[in-house]
Amino acid sequence: MPNSPTYLGTVQDVQGATISIALDKDTVSGLAFIDGHGYRIGQIGSFVRISIGFTDLFGIVSQVGAGAVPEALAKVEPYGYRWLKVQLVGEGQRSGEFKRGISQYPTIGDEAHLVTEQDLTRIYGRPDAPNFVRVGNLASAESIPALIDIDRLITRHSAVVGTTGAGKSTTVASLLVSLSDPGRYPSARIIVLDIHGEYHAALNDRATIFRVNADETHGEQPLFIPYWALSLDELLRVTPFRGLNDADRAALVEKVKQLKLASLQAQARNGVTIDTMTVDTPIPFSIHRLWYELHRYVCATHTAQGANQCDATEAIEQGSNGQPMLGDIMGVNPPRYRPITSGGPNRVYLSGALLNIRRQIMATESLLRDTRYDFMFRPGPWCPNPTFQNLDAQPAQDLDALIKSWVGGDKPITILDLSGVPVSILLDLIGVLIRLLFDALFWARYLPEGGRTRPLLFVLEEAHAYLNAGNEGAASFAARRIVKEGRKYGVGAMIVSQRPAEIDPTILSQCGTMFAMRLANATDRSHVTGTVSDNLEGLFNMLPALRTGEVIIVGEAVHLPLRALIDAPAKNRRPDSHDPKIYDPDANGGWNRQKQAENYARVLEKWRSENPRGTNNPGGNP
Amino acid sequence: MNRTPVSSSNVASVGYDPNTLTLEVEFKDGSVYQYFDVPETVYQELMRASSVGQFIHSNIRNNYRYAKV
Repeated sequence: MPNSPTYLGTVQDVQGATISIALDKDTVSGLAFIDGHGYRIGQIGSFVRISIGFTDLFGIVSQVGAGAVPEALAKVEPYGYRWLKVQLVGEGQRSGEFKRGISQYPTIGDEAHLVTEQDLTRIYGRPDAPNFVRVGNLASAESIPALIDIDRLITRHSAVVGTTGAGKSTTVASLLVSLSDPGRYPSARIIVLDIHGEYHAALNDRATIFRVNADETHGEQPLFIPYWALSLDELLRVTPFRGLNDADRAALVEKVKQLKLASLQAQARNGVTIDTMTVDTPIPFSIHRLWYELHRYVCATHTAQGANQCDATEAIEQGSNGQPMLGDIMGVNPPRYRPITSGGPNRVYLSGALLNIRRQIMATESLLRDTRYDFMFRPGPWCPNPTFQNLDAQPAQDLDALIKSWVGGDKPITILDLSGVPVSILLDLIGVLIRLLFDALFWARYLPEGGRTRPLLFVLEEAHAYLNAGNEGAASFAARRIVKEGRKYGVGAMIVSQRPAEIDPTILSQCGTMFAMRLANATDRSHVTGTVSDNLEGLFNMLPALRTGEVIIVGEAVHLPLRALIDAPAKNRRPDSHDPKIYDPDANGGWNRQKQAENYARVLEKWRSENPRGTNNPGGNP
Repeated sequence: MNRTPVSSSNVASVGYDPNTLTLEVEFKDGSVYQYFDVPETVYQELMRASSVGQFIHSNIRNNYRYAKV
């Protein structure tokens, strides 16, 4: 029907999934009106429909004009600017639904048609399906919602990439709001690793917020990561004991194992016996006691030499009250030893301990005293508090309470705000967090609480900071494990980054769905294009020219690659990531505001308390 | 650890690792001892001492913890 209003031209060249279409001479390039809607002909990224018999093939326009002339014809027809190059993506029965993949190819002379809103609805639309959430509207046809299959989105992982300011955080916030809709998905389970503390405002009523230095008046809960839940390797990485030689390390492993064994004997724990326990089993032990006992072993002085030394020969100084100065375990206060002497009847000798770890013990002492690390080494109810009377004191709570507070709370989203965590251990800490939760859900996979029944979505913000290629850190390792094996155990990852080029390609290529926002940097773009399975380079060439809030979604969670405009969340649901204003028309801030009286004493107070919102010192000035 | 030979009546060679502050001494009878937490200045003094064996005996042997390798 060459006089059909949707008619564009005929297929002239087929090369695999790439076909060239010669526009008909009568086709106006520009605007066409069909059923009252205006369509632009030959827009990059728009669709064409090719009818062959009872099937319709659908393709995306990737090139328009002279460059799209098939190579063989370029000489014969140098003015062949009326060409379209199209990437085939799928097919649909005349009445049935749309499917990815092509069962038969078009041939020369087949008619190509403009895709109308009616066709698009057929391809994209099924707003009623309960497993689809709406994230916005198609950029090309604003009446059609952009829908995403949440099954695929979560279990096959996803990545959200885009330059700073392209709307990444807003997109993520908008997705999270849709996914945590209490009416549709009351059991949703999402964990957001929020490095900069951006999501408080956006998800306030849907999320429990855990934070180091929590401001409990704002409903935040303190973030604790008990050190004894870490595996030995993880623990060594965050303490000065990293990089020990083999002999010293073996001695340390033995010591930790003894402490865990003693703890298990003091209080039995379900699921583990003395025979099955390893040094990595999450059993409470006291790191303060470990430090104290190592200190007494290595740094003590004795009244006997070498092999004759035992606890009774320790030369501990006596205080003014006549008692030995044993120090304090939880106060991280070592005992006082008498100095060594070189002769005389009461000669005092150095410890005969064969371990070369004195400096590590000293460094651990200052680490345990550092209040910035209290979230890990004094984890509130999970901290065993040994005293000399009760060395095997047990923590008030076990890990089940911790895991429940993270993934079993009343609210669907848990934000772990890591903005107060010291940078030196941030990477290891993220790895530990992911590993802990993954392990818990992995081993519980057949329980109703486990990942198979109630899957968990990890949102990894600013992922380039800790998932970069060549980084063999714990975070990278843990994330690789999720993207490779998570699907089977109900753990999904959403990786959010502005520098996809810096993310480990293994991780990026495992992300089944890609939300690509504006990306100006060519290296980043080629990384993203390279990980996408579809033959869609033409579509991805649009990346530098996308509008703010506009996203190209390709992959498993969508039937067809789609270009969508994300719904901007309501004002109270915007992430706290917008740029500060240099010129603020309301003059509430920025350089155009009149200068005001400023108080740098409170600047210093915030800096010292390392807390931008509250203060760590409740007795201090507000 | 690399040890440098020294001329002494009972010490064969001496080595030092500034990262772990470990001094390693090989005696003429073939035994090797490691002394822990030895500052680098002490090691330098040792290497300058007129008698290495005597310096070890008077300044190192009873002042630092050690292990036989």
